[in-house]
Amino acid sequence: MTIAEVQPLSKLKPARDDGARLGFRLTLPAQLLVLFIAVFPLLMQLYISLTDWSPLSGASWPQAWQFWNSFANYSDLISDNRLWSALGRTLFIIAICVPIEFLLGLGLATLFVDDFPGKRVAYSILIAPMMVVPAVAGYMFFMLFQSGGPVNDILSWFTPDPVAIAWLSDRHLALVAVMVTDIWQWTPLMFLILLAGLVGVPSDQLKAAALLGASPWQRFRTIVIPRMKTIIIIALAIRVIECFKIFDTLFIMTGGGPGVATETISVYIYKVTTNDLIWGYVAAIALAILIVLSIGAVWAMKRLAR
Amino acid sequence: MTRSLAFEAFRYSAILLALAVTLIPILWMASMAFKPVAEWQATGANLTWIPDDPTLDNFRFLFGESNSNLIVALDRTAGKPILSSLLSATFGTILAMTAGTAAAYGLSRFGSGANLPLALIQLRLFPPMAVMIPVMMMWAFLGLMDTWWGLALVYGIVTLPFAFWLMKTFFDEMPKEIEEAALVEGCSRWRVFIRVTLPMMAAPLAAASLFVFILNWSDYLIALLLTTREWVTIPVYMASLSSSMTGQLYGAKAALGLIAAVPPVILGIVIQKHLVRGLTFGALKQ
Repeated sequence: MTIAEVQPLSKLKPARDDGARLGFRLTLPAQLLVLFIAVFPLLMQLYISLTDWSPLSGASWPQAWQFWNSFANYSDLISDNRLWSALGRTLFIIAICVPIEFLLGLGLATLFVDDFPGKRVAYSILIAPMMVVPAVAGYMFFMLFQSGGPVNDILSWFTPDPVAIAWLSDRHLALVAVMVTDIWQWTPLMFLILLAGLVGVPSDQLKAAALLGASPWQRFRTIVIPRMKTIIIIALAIRVIECFKIFDTLFIMTGGGPGVATETISVYIYKVTTNDLIWGYVAAIALAILIVLSIGAVWAMKRLAR
Repeated sequence: MTRSLAFEAFRYSAILLALAVTLIPILWMASMAFKPVAEWQATGANLTWIPDDPTLDNFRFLFGESNSNLIVALDRTAGKPILSSLLSATFGTILAMTAGTAAAYGLSRFGSGANLPLALIQLRLFPPMAVMIPVMMMWAFLGLMDTWWGLALVYGIVTLPFAFWLMKTFFDEMPKEIEEAALVEGCSRWRVFIRVTLPMMAAPLAAASLFVFILNWSDYLIALLLTTREWVTIPVYMASLSSSMTGQLYGAKAALGLIAAVPPVILGIVIQKHLVRGLTFGALKQ
């Protein structure tokens, strides 16, 4: 063995320690950012939530202890009907929108597994809605659902009398309009993810099953679904999480109204934050939501891991 | 496999219907953007799908030219909000990509920061509304309210999970042989990262940056809470385009909406190959 061969090897050892140090330095900025936006604000939130402090109370927030009221905010929260109905409404929107988006997305995706002329163009157009800025999408549908707008115009083609429904000022129809918007914008996400999954299903297995006389439904149930299970769970999880946050489109279309007819959790917190300015109480609501979501996430991850 | 004519007919009509439903809202706004004031709110038989009298007045109005058919004039043009959106989204993207790429490399190669994947997923899980109170308090304290840099800082943190997860999956897939060869040649690990790894990852980096940019550009809620006047972004400014005298300035809003909507749609189509990976935190690839 010559010295020239040994040297690079001996250099590799300290280089490995070098790696740990470099790894630490490389991850440091991200760690600091997480600390800055997650850990520190959460502590602040916890502190404020135990007080009756508001930005109008005259004291700066570190002095919020002057307004100490321990867990009063949390007990108020239990009897806050507006909060609970906003939560119920949010869950209702999720329960309606996500399954519809899933089924429409899956149906479209199955049509796109085989090639056909114009497939690429059609694909690019179909995924466009999710790239439209949600606030702009909200404004688009605000225009579409005006009583003299195009939605009513299209409906009028099929009815003897011109339709003039005031979608956004009716309690129930406003909710429908908001959900239609969500479905328009996010079905493409389901389509995109599910198509990626469907393309990954081996076609020789499908062909073999077809030769053995399996019906399309049987093939779908016994070959496609089991292979797609993880993908379906991921797609649904992403949509449920995002739908829970629903704000932009809805707020621009209805502002949570008429009355509180389309008020979701995010809209409710927004209104209490900016109109009522009772920040101590908002902090309590926000923290309660974060805790429930975290427990839910940990539980879901444990189940998925199994 | 042969398929019946009926199936093909069904398939094409279903796809055409989906295309129509997808396009009508976008085309309606595009059409509205070129409508003169008289056609903005034409209803019933007068409703026009394609402007009878197309005009660029709405765009001119946004940038300060007065419109003889409108009694109102803008007290401020759309120029600064567009600049604000561009600056905050761009610098937010640079921050997220820098911190995210570095951390992803650190974890992928050296196993550092093992807490980050879960911490960042959780960051994404929370509704932004639920952490905005302390952020608003901190930003007021630091003098970052109503500035594009304050907004960029939040954007950088909010999209960090996407930057991190995307780059992590790219680094995980990259063969390590070339880096090892460079190490044996005597390069330091830092130089390998800067001179070998990053240039090889140019295309994934570009795709991930565009993806993060689209997300930042799409924000409404955070800008609504953190900017008030000087540096409002496009969506926040858009809401102000109405007046008590004329109601909604439909055409002007649609013109601005078109300006805001076109860049991300084009960018999204450019990176469509990577969209699935981006949207599922790298769990799925296309």
